[in-house]
Amino acid sequence: MKKYLALLICVVMTFCLCGCEKKEENTQKKYKPVPPFEALGEIEEGRKNIYVIVKDLESSYWRVVMNGAFAGGRDHDCNVYLSGCYTEADWKGMEKLLDEAMKAGADGIVVSPNNSVALSDKISEIHENGIPIVLIDTIANTDKYDVCYMTDNLNAGQKAAAEMITQLKNNGNDTDEPLKIGIEIGAVASQTVNERLAGFLQYWSNKAPDKWEVISDIKYNNGNNEDSLTCAEELLDYEDIKGVYGTDNVSTVGLAKTILADKRQDVVMIGFDFSSEMETLIRSEGYVASTMVQRQFEMSYIGIETVLEIIDGKEFSVKFVDTDITVVSKNNIEDERVRTLLDKDRGIS
Amino acid sequence: MIKMIKKKNNENEINGGSFLKVMSIFLVICSVGFVGMILSVNALMREHDKELTSQICGLVAEKMNSSIRYMTVSVQDMAGFISARQYEDLDQLYSDMDEMPSGGFISMGFVDSYGTVYGSDDEQNEFRKWSFLLTAKKAAPVSITFPYRSSLSGQPVITMFSRFTYGGTRRGWLYMTYPLQEIQNLAQMKNASDGTEIWLMNAKSDNTIQCAGKNQFAIGSWANALVSFKKSIDEEYQDDYLEWKASMNSGNEMDSVNYTIDDTQYTQVFSQIDYMDGWYVVVRSPSSAMSSTMGQFRTIVLLFTWFILSATLIMSIVTHRRDVADRKILENLSIHDPITQVMNRRAFDLAAENYLNKGIKSDCSLLFIDVDFFKQVNDQYGHDSGDKVLVEFAAAIKEFFGEDSIISRYGGDEFLVMVKHGDRHKVDEQLDKLRQRVHAIEPLNRPEDDTFRISFSCGGASSPSDSRNFDELKTCADRALYLVKKKGRDGYKWYDPDEV
Repeated sequence: MKKYLALLICVVMTFCLCGCEKKEENTQKKYKPVPPFEALGEIEEGRKNIYVIVKDLESSYWRVVMNGAFAGGRDHDCNVYLSGCYTEADWKGMEKLLDEAMKAGADGIVVSPNNSVALSDKISEIHENGIPIVLIDTIANTDKYDVCYMTDNLNAGQKAAAEMITQLKNNGNDTDEPLKIGIEIGAVASQTVNERLAGFLQYWSNKAPDKWEVISDIKYNNGNNEDSLTCAEELLDYEDIKGVYGTDNVSTVGLAKTILADKRQDVVMIGFDFSSEMETLIRSEGYVASTMVQRQFEMSYIGIETVLEIIDGKEFSVKFVDTDITVVSKNNIEDERVRTLLDKDRGIS
Repeated sequence: MIKMIKKKNNENEINGGSFLKVMSIFLVICSVGFVGMILSVNALMREHDKELTSQICGLVAEKMNSSIRYMTVSVQDMAGFISARQYEDLDQLYSDMDEMPSGGFISMGFVDSYGTVYGSDDEQNEFRKWSFLLTAKKAAPVSITFPYRSSLSGQPVITMFSRFTYGGTRRGWLYMTYPLQEIQNLAQMKNASDGTEIWLMNAKSDNTIQCAGKNQFAIGSWANALVSFKKSIDEEYQDDYLEWKASMNSGNEMDSVNYTIDDTQYTQVFSQIDYMDGWYVVVRSPSSAMSSTMGQFRTIVLLFTWFILSATLIMSIVTHRRDVADRKILENLSIHDPITQVMNRRAFDLAAENYLNKGIKSDCSLLFIDVDFFKQVNDQYGHDSGDKVLVEFAAAIKEFFGEDSIISRYGGDEFLVMVKHGDRHKVDEQLDKLRQRVHAIEPLNRPEDDTFRISFSCGGASSPSDSRNFDELKTCADRALYLVKKKGRDGYKWYDPDEV
């Protein structure tokens, strides 16, 4: 009898368990721990303490942002403390830094949220606690912040599409002949990437010749350098491909390297940010390439300036300021205006 | 008898075996039926969910569309109001703007017939950046921009244009900018089921922007359907999705598709937005979200059914076990003497005859044993005492002959023992031991000074020397017993034809 009862209990438990939903564990990958805040420049008693948090402490793009923050602190007479993550995917690390800045008694915070959705709650909390908070480079999906300085990525994507059409025509492609362009994107969850893609496709779908087609197989590398090369190779294998678009620095570098390695002078390349690989491609004879250069130096510099003005009681009528982009190609890379922008971005001036 | 008993045992085994078989078949049928029931209930629920979700998605899409329509009506009404005021120039109108009713929108302004924008510097920048004059001129009577990020709010917005007249016949355009969130607020979608997501989607570019979803902070997020939908949908539903997309591209007003992503079933519906060229409201909901109540009901029904089946199974097993026990008792009663637990006469006759007739090995000794003066025991010490004597007497016989014999209580105080060998010497030794043991039996209620002693008389006959026939053998043993009794009891004797 005991055996039958045990069997019955087992069966009933099995059915009960079948009714339970399988829930995924809410886990985030383990990343290199974020470092404590460090002074960026001179620290003096009696000055306002501004905490700057960047997405990636080790990338060349973010070094320019740090240069801007340093210059902002120096020029506007405040103490600047800096920290950030070692990878853009580490939003938990950034959340921790925001908490630490609050606990440290920051007079103001300048931050570039590495997850527009996940960090919205924390940013709102800081704003509601009365601490001025200025966003740079990336906006959060909340209205509880003071001002955001960033590239309007939707608009930047549109400009990239316009540049693609122009360069394809310059490269001898007939508007009545069919051709294909491929797209490589970084992290699918990144709002920056998604807006650049949306802007590009919005413009392309309205302005590109009817026979010019976007390959529906949009490649994504999730910010991984090796994957970006694989994605680039796969795109360049498509028949009739005449143009490629990279929505972010990782994708752009991967595409630029592959085009040079495969000697694909027939393919127009449009990317983002000014990396050494992109510069090489732009300068190489026979290749057609353009890149959308952001003004990240200005973002952090003005960010520091703005957060100090808010502390002083100034009110801003806008919450979002487009810092715009500059399209850099072989045609203008030696222009003084462009050289000034690029040199500043490299921390030379 | 042994055969009969074995036969009965076999019958029991057969009965037990057939019961197990019947129960196994019952279990298999129940299990198959149960699985079938689960599958069909699940299939029905899936179908029901699909239909229900499709209807709900359609309603949500229509509600979203209505809320956008409501905004366009507000813009038209405001434009009509401005036309009715018959302004000579827009400077006057612009200065009166603060007195105009507000609600829901974050900014309002005008464009005159020359394309001059009457708005803040930031709004004028936005007009230049996005070429909104082209959108304004498409107003017939309303036009709507694509979603973009507002400088004023930092949030995704859409701007609506409507024509009005001023200065007699000149044409101007009123614009009102609404946050994307307002569409959701108007549609009151906060009560939508868990997991329902709403986007605005552009058919040509496949761009989507989220209007509602589980995560409130995801509202306003851009994505592209080629990545967010098409790449994540399970392979077998890709064609269905492409058909749905083709339906959107062909200009249909509404259509739906069902697909799965990682085993979750979704229904997705699009509905065309008026005045927003190429844009659609897309609503997606996991089918399971609609049936959580149904799912609970299903679990209760399944558990109850399983409980009923289990109870039936347990009841059958309990009944069967009780049945087997009862049958054993009855069988025991029909074979054994209820007092001494040795065979009764009928069983012994069958067993003995069967032993003698099987012909393979029929050597045996038949002993007719009588308890001496048993009537006296009953009369003097009572029937309880008599019964005790019989029980102990039978136990003694079993002790000395049990393993190799068939023992029975043949009558009141008569026992018949068939020893399965013909070795009289060995039987004599056993009888001597039995005799000593029987002498030691003490009847109940016997006074201390009473010298009465239990004894027995026994007559024996052997097969095949005396007879091969059971009845004849019995008669021989009985005759030998008679002689023992005649000589004064408390002894034993083998049948001798000469003495008779």
